Amino acid sequence: MAQAQKEFSIVGKRTPRIDGYERVTGQAHYTGDIQLPGMLYARVLRSTVPHAKIVGIDASKAEKLPGVKAVIHHGNAKVPWSSGGHTHQRFIFNNPVRFVGDAVAAVAATDRHIAEDALALIEVKYEKIPHVLDPNEALKPDAPKISTNGNLSVGKGNFSAPIEESWGDLEKGFKEADQIFEDTYVTKHTNNAQLERRVSIAKWDAGKLTVYASTQGVSNARTDIAKDFGLPLSKVRVVSKYMGGGFGNKNQAQDYDYMAAVLAKVTNQPVKLEFTREDDYIGMHGRWASEQHYKVGVKKDGTITAVQLDAVTNIGAYRKQSGNLSGTDFYNIPNFKKIIKPVHTNTVVGANYRAPAYPQSVFGFASFLDHIAYELGINPVDMFMRNRIQKYKAKLPFTSNYLEQCIIEGSKRIGWSEKWHKPGAMDGVKKHGIGMALGGYPFRPGLGAATIRMNPDGSAHLLVGVTDIGTGAKSTMAIIAAEALGISLNQIEVTNGDTDVTPYSVGESGSRTTSFTGHAVIAAAEDIRKQVFAVAAPQLKVKAEELDLRDGQVFVKAEPSQKIPLARAVARAGELIGRATTNPEFKDVEGKSFSAHFAEVEVDTLTGHVKITRYVAVHDSGIILNRMPAESQIMGGVVQGIGMAFTEELITDKLTATPINPNYRDAKVPTHLEAPNVEVIFVEHYDPYGPFGGKVVGEPPITAAVATIANAIFNATGKRIKELPITPDKILQARQV
Amino acid sequence: MADEKRGAKLSRRSFLKGLSGGAIGTAVISTGLVKSDPAEAYFPETTGAARGKTPISLKVNGKTYRVQAEHRETLAEVLRDQLGLTGTKIGCDRGECGACTVIINGRNMYSCSQLAVWMGGKEILTIEGLAKGDKLDPVQEAFIEHDGPQCGFCTSGQIMSGKALLMKNSKPNEGQVRRALSGNLCRCGNYNREVAAVLAAAKR
Repeated sequence: MAQAQKEFSIVGKRTPRIDGYERVTGQAHYTGDIQLPGMLYARVLRSTVPHAKIVGIDASKAEKLPGVKAVIHHGNAKVPWSSGGHTHQRFIFNNPVRFVGDAVAAVAATDRHIAEDALALIEVKYEKIPHVLDPNEALKPDAPKISTNGNLSVGKGNFSAPIEESWGDLEKGFKEADQIFEDTYVTKHTNNAQLERRVSIAKWDAGKLTVYASTQGVSNARTDIAKDFGLPLSKVRVVSKYMGGGFGNKNQAQDYDYMAAVLAKVTNQPVKLEFTREDDYIGMHGRWASEQHYKVGVKKDGTITAVQLDAVTNIGAYRKQSGNLSGTDFYNIPNFKKIIKPVHTNTVVGANYRAPAYPQSVFGFASFLDHIAYELGINPVDMFMRNRIQKYKAKLPFTSNYLEQCIIEGSKRIGWSEKWHKPGAMDGVKKHGIGMALGGYPFRPGLGAATIRMNPDGSAHLLVGVTDIGTGAKSTMAIIAAEALGISLNQIEVTNGDTDVTPYSVGESGSRTTSFTGHAVIAAAEDIRKQVFAVAAPQLKVKAEELDLRDGQVFVKAEPSQKIPLARAVARAGELIGRATTNPEFKDVEGKSFSAHFAEVEVDTLTGHVKITRYVAVHDSGIILNRMPAESQIMGGVVQGIGMAFTEELITDKLTATPINPNYRDAKVPTHLEAPNVEVIFVEHYDPYGPFGGKVVGEPPITAAVATIANAIFNATGKRIKELPITPDKILQARQV
Repeated sequence: MADEKRGAKLSRRSFLKGLSGGAIGTAVISTGLVKSDPAEAYFPETTGAARGKTPISLKVNGKTYRVQAEHRETLAEVLRDQLGLTGTKIGCDRGECGACTVIINGRNMYSCSQLAVWMGGKEILTIEGLAKGDKLDPVQEAFIEHDGPQCGFCTSGQIMSGKALLMKNSKPNEGQVRRALSGNLCRCGNYNREVAAVLAAAKR
């Protein structure tokens, strides 16, 4: 599937989003904006105890409240939620409940306030079961069992445990080392905290279920719902046009979609189920916390000879995702072994949040490498350059790899050689520091589909299943279609995110939309072009193979002045329909986008406050198809990393097992005042496997950000903070040691 | 078995309701703190569908609307649910995120933290009221050109805070823009774009 580079007319330009007007005028309609006639409002009741058997639910008072239409719970709505838990069966309401925040009941009423009132009238009798909050405690033989299989979350395939990976000869690698270092790094549970609270609207029409969802993937959501409700795919419609962010916690269908569907069924009315902000923080999931123990063998010159990683990750009460740690991915490690134990505890679920397995362990491993460089008296930029990855698992080549150039460009831009100094060497109260780290994310090909309908006036409808979660995917698909067709962008109308209308899409997660669906859009455009050339050939009196289409003109390749406008060529063709389903594969190559991040900080050693004074993010994402949103995503990923580095942590009170800060103010997401200017540099090279040479953009920018900041703080203070978030008190304490 | 129920804490909405109820307010807070059943302690007479509604005259984007709202309904809810002005978003419903920002009598305010019944006689401007016919407001135009929205859910609020700033200070510097918008969270982290857009709008 490798392809050669082309000249582009639309790809890569600074084109504003095609739906910018809707988004700035309030005319972009998100799921929560939809109102249906006769619609009820629903709210969810959550467990107040961390582990308990429900021995009774008395909903009679709630049901008597005027306006209440239905109360559902485990006793009357035992619906499985397959994608909610992969190692022990999960339902939309579970008995026993396994964490403070586990859903217990849902109420539908004529308005949301009545539904809220009703929640307080539901009486739940719990029989408490011993609980465990700490993953290391949970692994002890006498710990309370959360899953019937035990607390090490053993499942199949991607959900096996422990997650083990190794290559080379670890013992030999450590023997070859001049020095061996060992240390432990800790990261905490942080929340996706997207602005749009979860909301789902469900309605039934003669046995067909329609769900207006706030989902990152309408096709996957449909598959989930159809499976768990026992419906054919054709009897489920999932619609999501505009989506207010998710960052991995709105993949597929979730329990609230199911609850809305059940409530709609029993009341025979459409139901809108809304989460509160607190529901959103505790009822779904955040990024899994981790404790990472590294053993690293190095030569005197810093060359890594072996790495061993033993880690536990806290995936909470249910296994929704892998719980893996992949921060070692960006380094050349000849001998490697990792053992990651995803562990169940009676806490909020830890699952996907932007580049799920990365920022935690990029923080751990890149901090540790930075520290080893310090111990060996090596400049960090030399350490990272020397050990940067060149072959996947020390074996396979990459489809393209310009990590070296990322490091060179970034260190030049920030002025590393002039600005770097020995850690903690600066005088004064406010200390300057500079740091860097490497990051990226896998780039893979996969199943995509697209349909293009061309009208008799030459304008076209592009139908794609993608939901635009903020990445600009809708615009990117239009840009790819316009480029591939040879017509202008304003001739393309995109219809997206509706399973009854649009073809399959993988879902906007794992940075897969452009690489999966992009190929299909190109192929669908080629399908249309063939049809255009077939109808234009007799008009231009040449063979179809001799024709090309560019700038809305069909012309003879050998004699471009012989041409007719596209609109004339297809005027009598009725409607042309181009379609494609593509599923390319890699053979003996591996794909990855790469990045090198650099930051300068000023640490106030009296207050522990850190100010980021400069940030440079250099990315190898292949050709950038849609430049402005790509830059925006890099900036935004860095800002999310800043939150993770400095402030964000969902804190669970040890005594009550209750999350005590499930909101923006107390979990402290960054504001305008904390966001530095992020200088974005794309090191652009054509990747022969990506659509129009592009790799992935969305997930990578958060991966290196946390470690970059942590390393800059070390350079300023000479003190290594090994546990996130790096709050002022930790900096002050470290200074005093 | 109070700890087995949901209550035991004051929600922002209940707190607002308490304040609007005058003398009941103090009783609400104290009973709330001793963990009694919130549904009974707060408003024993006003739960369920039997509650009364108050007629309100709302002046929004230059038009006057007559609506009926319960005392506990926020301006954000009435704008969205009754007037269909869904450009105003609700991100947290507790005065933290700013997605619901509208301009009331010339000031940017969180419409989730204003009760609809307080709005009589006030001039409310929402995102839908910014454009003059087909002509977008300079802040809106600049948001398109500078890629202001990523997911777009905070965008209306960011624009309204930017607009409120420019109404008071037509030539702000970057620091002033950041401070003026600092009550508007953007989880996509698109802060640099939003600031750049407001600065660009000021130059038009």
